[in-house]
Amino acid sequence: MQTLRVALAQIAPRLGQLEPNLARHRELIEEARGKGAGLVVFPELGLTGYQLQDLAAEVAMRLDDPRLAGLAAATHDLSVVVSFVEESADHRLFIAAALLEDGRVRHVHRKLFLPTYGLFDERRFFAAGDLLRATPSRLGVGVGIAVCEDFWHLSVPQLLALDGAQILINVSSSPGRDLAATHEVGLGTASSWRGLMRTYAQLTTSVAIFCNRVGVDESFSFWGGSEIIGPNGEALFSAPLFEEGLFTADVPLADLRRERVGLPLLRDERLELHAREITRIINERAGLAVDSTSDPFAEPGLDVAPGDPVHEPIGFREDATMPQKLRR
Amino acid sequence: MTDATASSSEEPLFELPPELAIDTSVARRVIAQFIRGQLRQAGFERAVLGLSGGIDSALVAYLVAEAIGAERLLCVSMPYRTSSEASRTDAAAVVADLGCASETVDISPMVDGFFGAQPEATPLRRGNFMARQRMAVLYDRSVTWGGLVVGTGNKTETLIGYTTLFGDNACAFNPIGDLYKSQVRQVAVAIGVPAAIIRKAPSADLWPGQTDETEAGFSYPVLDRLLFWRVDKRRSDEEMAALGFDPALVARVDRMIATSEFKRQVPPIAKLGPRTAGVDYLYPRRRPGSARE
Repeated sequence: MQTLRVALAQIAPRLGQLEPNLARHRELIEEARGKGAGLVVFPELGLTGYQLQDLAAEVAMRLDDPRLAGLAAATHDLSVVVSFVEESADHRLFIAAALLEDGRVRHVHRKLFLPTYGLFDERRFFAAGDLLRATPSRLGVGVGIAVCEDFWHLSVPQLLALDGAQILINVSSSPGRDLAATHEVGLGTASSWRGLMRTYAQLTTSVAIFCNRVGVDESFSFWGGSEIIGPNGEALFSAPLFEEGLFTADVPLADLRRERVGLPLLRDERLELHAREITRIINERAGLAVDSTSDPFAEPGLDVAPGDPVHEPIGFREDATMPQKLRR
Repeated sequence: MTDATASSSEEPLFELPPELAIDTSVARRVIAQFIRGQLRQAGFERAVLGLSGGIDSALVAYLVAEAIGAERLLCVSMPYRTSSEASRTDAAAVVADLGCASETVDISPMVDGFFGAQPEATPLRRGNFMARQRMAVLYDRSVTWGGLVVGTGNKTETLIGYTTLFGDNACAFNPIGDLYKSQVRQVAVAIGVPAAIIRKAPSADLWPGQTDETEAGFSYPVLDRLLFWRVDKRRSDEEMAALGFDPALVARVDRMIATSEFKRQVPPIAKLGPRTAGVDYLYPRRRPGSARE
């Protein structure tokens, strides 16, 4: 297998301004092509900026929008991941990431997990996607695309890998925060993401690509630090923090085969075990089945009983070793 | 506790609680990017700030100069006739070191003109009035200099409400409002604020001899640690006690935080129409078309 040159467009989008952002994308796609890239990745909402609030509806595009088609037209012999606000036919607004290849929209991923806590308020303005699919690509390997918070949920990278992705791509608008000196590179957010991407790459034996934006929206400063992690969990490339730029790095795709043959974690995954146990947990949470791992006095759907300060660790069936007062 | 020093051979410049230690180079990068972003999105290239001679405004002056160049910064010193001489010389030292534009506006006539016939006016009223006169001067200079007003309040004073509403807390944006005083000191050391400014006791300088710490009754390292664990790390009463904080002090600081909540928020508008600013009409402050042409 060949070496894939990946271009990470660590850009600072202009908030709410589609046209200048589209122009910047076209410019960088050509620059990446000139540098011999086969895959170009732009960050989450790179076409619109992040902190849109009520502007979201004003910058939304349908998948048949000529502006998107225009951008796709620039992708002959190239794979490009771009992100924007997608409006569906029933007028829901999604945070979308699209794989553009050979002049057309090859695949669209709609952000599944919309953080609405702390500094985030996404669920107020956006609909959550319902589908998670890996997609074949002109790169010759399956690609799995996810958006930022999607990768704070363990199942997403795993499902993408199980579905055939060998390259996992996460596009992000991650605001930097938690500046404690004890963190690696001085920034809590960066330490977390660096840990996550290395872990996912290693556990799914995939190439993991993280493209994060830079620049400022309102109070938020986005920290960049885009990375490419090899299937053994080691970083192949780390972009600088806070610096705008188009960064390229070569990914030897042959490493995927070597790693997966030598460390056949995906081969050994137990999908039927997942399915069985997940189904059980769903039924227990819905109160449709007796919860075998809950406190004796827990209500249906809850694992822990209220009011009683004496808890045995959950996960044990009642038996003779349990204190008398806790037995049913 | 650890001590921060400009170099190991010197006296410690200040006391730094270890949990408040930050990577100052990352902080400076974030803040520089923030300052440039705020100005660009508003269509401005220049900034103006009130330089008191204290560490907060001195640090912001250095940060702005680092972000956009000292030639785009105007520092306005606005002493009252009772302001300390040290404040003036410290402010002058910052201006001389940075090489930025500066101006001194004596606010004594403005303040005395209003309070002249009111000898009963309390120091609190006078202090608040002075802060608001300084705000008025800065917003006038925002027009003549063609720059945005940069805020200089830190996280500690903002949380306990040691600020004047529409006075020193009025600004277009604030680069250090999420840094505790101890963290302000760290960044100040790293960026080269004169040691005399870092070393001296913080003061609103509203009357001779006033210092923040004697007025509030506790030291910044203690208060910063308390706020960090209570606010940032959400520790309960019991957990605060286990960390060694005096429960009475925790209760007192809790009250200061609660009673000053209004100072940290935009005033509420009575909800009547279909879309109400700040409620269900939510736009970024800087949006397409908002920048000055």
